[in-house]
Amino acid sequence: MKILATVYKEFLLLIRDPGGMALIFIMPLALVIVMALVQDAPFRDYQEIKLEVLFIDHDQDSLSAKVKKAFQASPNVVLIQEQDTAEAKKLVQAGKFKAAIIIPDQASADLRRKTKQLISSVFSNFGLPAEVDSAKLPTIDIRLFFDPAIKSNYKQALSGSLEKISASVQAEWILDELQQQLSEGNEEAPPKIAVDLSKIMRVDQRYASENKYQGVILNSVQHNVPAWTMFAMFFILYPLAGNFIKEREEGSMLRLRLISGSQWPVISGKFGFYFMICLVQFILMIAVGIYVMPLLGLTKLILGSNPLGILITACSVAMAATGYGVLIAVYFRTPQQALSFGSVSVVILSAIGGVWVPIYVMPEILQTVSRFSPMSWGLESFNDLFLRQASIPAILPNVLRLIGFALVALAASVLIHKSRTVV
Amino acid sequence: MSTCAVHLDNLSKQYPHSAKRAVSSLTFKIEEGSVFGLLGPNGAGKSTTVMMLCGLMRPDTGSISVFGLDVLEQGADVRRQIGVAPQEIALFPMLTAYENLFYFGRMYGMRAAEIDAQIKKYLHVFGLAEKRNKIVSTFSGGMKKRLNLIAAILHHPKLIILDEPTAGVDVQSRNLILDFLDSLKDDGTTIIYSSHVLEEAERICSHLGIIDEGKLITTGTRTSIMDAHLDCKNLEQVFLKLTGKNIRD
Repeated sequence: MKILATVYKEFLLLIRDPGGMALIFIMPLALVIVMALVQDAPFRDYQEIKLEVLFIDHDQDSLSAKVKKAFQASPNVVLIQEQDTAEAKKLVQAGKFKAAIIIPDQASADLRRKTKQLISSVFSNFGLPAEVDSAKLPTIDIRLFFDPAIKSNYKQALSGSLEKISASVQAEWILDELQQQLSEGNEEAPPKIAVDLSKIMRVDQRYASENKYQGVILNSVQHNVPAWTMFAMFFILYPLAGNFIKEREEGSMLRLRLISGSQWPVISGKFGFYFMICLVQFILMIAVGIYVMPLLGLTKLILGSNPLGILITACSVAMAATGYGVLIAVYFRTPQQALSFGSVSVVILSAIGGVWVPIYVMPEILQTVSRFSPMSWGLESFNDLFLRQASIPAILPNVLRLIGFALVALAASVLIHKSRTVV
Repeated sequence: MSTCAVHLDNLSKQYPHSAKRAVSSLTFKIEEGSVFGLLGPNGAGKSTTVMMLCGLMRPDTGSISVFGLDVLEQGADVRRQIGVAPQEIALFPMLTAYENLFYFGRMYGMRAAEIDAQIKKYLHVFGLAEKRNKIVSTFSGGMKKRLNLIAAILHHPKLIILDEPTAGVDVQSRNLILDFLDSLKDDGTTIIYSSHVLEEAERICSHLGIIDEGKLITTGTRTSIMDAHLDCKNLEQVFLKLTGKNIRD
C-alpha cells in the first residue's frame, strides 16, 4: 500500500505540473518527429543514392549510347546532357553537380579498332588467318570529374558503375568481333548470336530477413523512432531528479525519512511510477512512428513480428532509464548539479549509443565505446526486432545488460540514500 | 512513579571542519507525559540534539534511548513512536491538505478509514476543515504550520518533537497550536518543545532544559529553575543570566 500511495502521489504531482507533462510527453514527440524529418535526407543518402550527373558525349556513337542507356536504367543516377567539357568541369567544381562523365571523341571507333586488333592477334597466335593491325593504339579514356565535396561512397558507386558498364560493353564487342572474324570468308557461317551477358551471371541482392518483413531497412523512421524514444525515456531523469531534490529541499523528504520503513516504498514507488511513464512515452512515440510519420511523407514504422520481444525490450529500457534517474536524483544534492550532469550525461550516452547517427558510421574507437552505453544495448535490441526479426533469445544479452544496469543503479541509489539517513 | 521517555547520556557531536563541538557531553532525562522545553540561543545545539534524537544524525559519543529503545540500534522502532514537526514546512506544496495527510498516513502504515477519521478530526481542531481540498501552496504561513503539525501527530505518536512550531505564524494560529499542545498533556503524550520563545515555554512546558554551546546549563521544572534564581523575575531573565546578553548568529 505504501508503494501504491507513492505512485498515486507522484501521479498527482505530475498532472499538476503542466511543464513536467510537456517535458515528458510533448517534447519527446516533437523531438522524434523533427529528428526523423531532419535525418530523412541523410538516411536516403546512405541507402537511396540519386545523383545528378552531367553526361558529355563527344563520341555520339554506340559506346556512348550504351553507357547512356545503362545509366538511364539505374535508379541511382540521373544523366543531364551537356555539350562542353570545360563548362561541365566548371559546374562540377562549383558543386552544382556531383560528377561529370566525358566520353571522348571517336571512343566507339577506337574501341572497335582495339577489339579487332585484339581478336586478330589471338587468331594469328593460334595460326588462324587474320589481318593484324600492328599500330599502337592509345587507351580509350572515359573521364569522370568529381565535386571535391562528394562523399566517398557516392564516388565509389559511380566509378564502380562506369567500370562495370565499360567492361560489359568491351566483353560484348569482343564476342561480336570474334563471331565476325570467324565468319569472314565462310559463306555458310551461322548467323551471329546476340549475346546478353547479364543473363549469364547476375548478383542477386536480398535482405537476410526471411518473412513478410523482408526488405525493411534502416531508414530515418526505423532509426529515429526507437533511438529518440530511448533518449526521451532516459530524459525521465529530468522530472524524476527534479521532483526528488525539490522534495528534499522543501522538507517533505525529511518527514519521510523520519517515518520508519518509508524509504524503500518511497524509492520503489517513484521508480514504479516513472517506469510506467517511460512505457507510456514508448507507446506514444511508437504510435507516432506508425500513424503520424506517414502523414509527414516519411515511411511508416515497421515493428516486425515479435511484440513480446518489443515489450521486454521496452520494459528493460524503461528500467534502465528510471534506475539511472533515481541514481542521479539520490546522488546529487542540488537540482542544478543533478539536472546539468543528468542532461549532459544522457546526451553523451545517446551520442555514443548510436542515437544521433548509427553506430556503424562512427569511428572504430567510438564503436568500441558505444558497447558501454545502455542506449546502444536498447537500440541494438530494437534493430534486432524491427529489422532482423530476432527471437527473444537473440535479444536476451542486451535485455540482461539493461536490467543489470538498472539493478546496479538502484542498488547504488539505495546505499547512497541509506547512508544519508544516518541511523 | 513516572517513567523515563527519553534519556540522553553523555551525547557529543562535532561537525567536520568545525573547531568546536555542537553538542558536548549532553545528559538529561525526560519523563513520560511531560512537556519538555528545550531552550537555547541560536547555535546552542538544539537542532543537532533533535536530529540525533530522531536518528537523522549519528552522535560521536554517547547514547540516546526513547521509551527504552536505543536510537542507534533500534532507529526504525524508535521512529514508529515519534512524530516530528520540523521548523521548515515538510509538506508537498502541490498536493491538497487532505492528499498530504493521507499520503503521510499511508507511510505511517495506517489504514485508510483510520487516516480519514484522523484527518477529519485534526482538520476540524486546527480550523482547516474547509481547506481540506485546497492545494497547500495556496495556504498562508499559519495554515501551513498547522498542517505541518497535524502531519506529525496523525499516527498517535507517544513522543512529539516540535521544532519552533509557532515560528512565523500569526497570534491566532499560535494560540490555537498552544491550546492544542496543552490538551495533549492530558493524553499522557510526551512533548519535546524546542523554541526561542520563552513565553510559550513558560505557558506549556512542565519541564525545561536550557542549553548553550552544546552543553546543558540547567534543567528542571519551571518552579525549580525559578527557585534556583531568586534574583530573576521571570524565565527570560534566567535565560539571559545563564546564556549571556551577547548576540548569537
